[in-house]
Amino acid sequence: MKELKIKLTGQIKSHFSEIEEKDYEGNRLDFTVRKETVSSVLVFLKDTLGFKHLSHISCVDWIEENVFELIFIIWSPTDKLRVFIRTRIDRDNPVMDNMDMIWPQMNTYERELREMYGIVFEGLDAPDEFLLEDWDGPPPMRRDFDTEAYAQDTFFERPGREDAQDVRETLTKRTGEDLPDFAKKYSR
Amino acid sequence: MMIRLKVTGDTVVKATTEVGYLHRAFEKLLEKRNWMQCFPVLCRFCVPEPDPVEEAFALAVESIEGREVPERAKYIRVLVLELARMASYMLWYGGQSGSLGLYTVGQWSVGDRNYILDLFEELTGGRVYHMYIWPGGVRRDMPEGFGEKVLKTMDYIEKRLDDYDDLMFENAIFKRRTKGVGIIDKEKAVEWGVVGPPLRGCGIKSDIRIDDPYEVYDKLDFDVPTAEGGDIWARALVRRQEVRQSIRIVRQVLDKMPSGSVYNKVPNPQKWRLPEGDAYSRIESVRGEIGFYVASDGGLYPRRAHMRGAAYVHAVTLLERILPGENISDVSSILNSLGACPPEIER
Repeated sequence: MKELKIKLTGQIKSHFSEIEEKDYEGNRLDFTVRKETVSSVLVFLKDTLGFKHLSHISCVDWIEENVFELIFIIWSPTDKLRVFIRTRIDRDNPVMDNMDMIWPQMNTYERELREMYGIVFEGLDAPDEFLLEDWDGPPPMRRDFDTEAYAQDTFFERPGREDAQDVRETLTKRTGEDLPDFAKKYSR
Repeated sequence: MMIRLKVTGDTVVKATTEVGYLHRAFEKLLEKRNWMQCFPVLCRFCVPEPDPVEEAFALAVESIEGREVPERAKYIRVLVLELARMASYMLWYGGQSGSLGLYTVGQWSVGDRNYILDLFEELTGGRVYHMYIWPGGVRRDMPEGFGEKVLKTMDYIEKRLDDYDDLMFENAIFKRRTKGVGIIDKEKAVEWGVVGPPLRGCGIKSDIRIDDPYEVYDKLDFDVPTAEGGDIWARALVRRQEVRQSIRIVRQVLDKMPSGSVYNKVPNPQKWRLPEGDAYSRIESVRGEIGFYVASDGGLYPRRAHMRGAAYVHAVTLLERILPGENISDVSSILNSLGACPPEIER
């Protein structure tokens, strides 16, 4: 396994000199590339080195560094190796190339990332809505999206929903009867 | 999840998958839960088979931290995963035959599934959601006499499989409605991201338990069934054989089960920080590859926990490609044969 990893790493590095490598145990290879190079690396891995199966595409919001990290995880059915290809893109201007011509299922991942993180995939041909419906707020998977504030604004404290606060208090007000002792303990 | 169909007469011309109706923001919730609090959310990703999701997440966490799991816990995990596989296949029997109007199979198999749920109840305390596999091992050891009960249930289910064969696989309607329907192109299957029984139904031998083994699967002896044709019939044949293989695995697990501890204790969950890093773990579920990408920033909560379900590919890009040209009455059957599970897409 180790020899195979060294051999494949050498082949990848000979084609993409600026690639950064990180060493991991087991059957994992890990490379970081510039965003312009991602598609060429993926095509090379798929067509030349036999990494035919796209396992996953994910995104991590490193808000402190103002970047999104995209992670492409690919599997080689012949060599039984897993490769992580990472790239970092500017959080203020998150633009990537559309790559669904490499693997058709990338289209679905790109739609999700577009909606959940606001990443623009240039040339992506897909309907606007994927998971969210009639959504005009900020991309909800970004770290600065405040779920609690959104829920408070949307689902609580709005006119007509006062009853939702505390059922016991509401019942007391309506009936004019005092709460039983055991219920007082839990009342807010 | 919904599929919008454009038809000419009874023939599908275009299919578009529209998702989102089950979206419950699970992954966002996980970012606000500590590493142990994630588990009651995780099992809800997939109702019929929650254990592989727990297992995938636990493996990713253990991989980031470099935490070892006791040998006995590994065997118990395999036992739970295989029981979950069988329970899920029992539901599949009902769904696949029910989509063709053969309702009796489902009534039998869902009834028999309850015997497996009884086992889960005894082992984990829950019938459907278990929260039993967690980082460091499993929640508790097997109760006394549990192994014998499992073996007894396996004997019963093995006997019942012959009845299912007579009722479902020997049925002329089932054969006629599944052969040559919903064909996946073998040449394109890997590239399109097809995994699990649909891939093996194309004649491609691929199983994560063999190719990228986890827990103790590399110490167990079992076959990976395949079938030729790439149609619903081939996928059904694969699944039919896989139940028998699961029974074989369960018997071996109970036979080889070592003694010892089942849990390497993790620190106080309220203060448990994982080191910085990330991992991707993958599991062979009944639908194929279930994976979890987990990233940690060294904090109390996951920085990102992103699930990859087989249905994410099967029910969107693959389904949209293979439905055109099929008869509208076969759509639900094709959908079922691909293992389309909406919660895996709408996380």
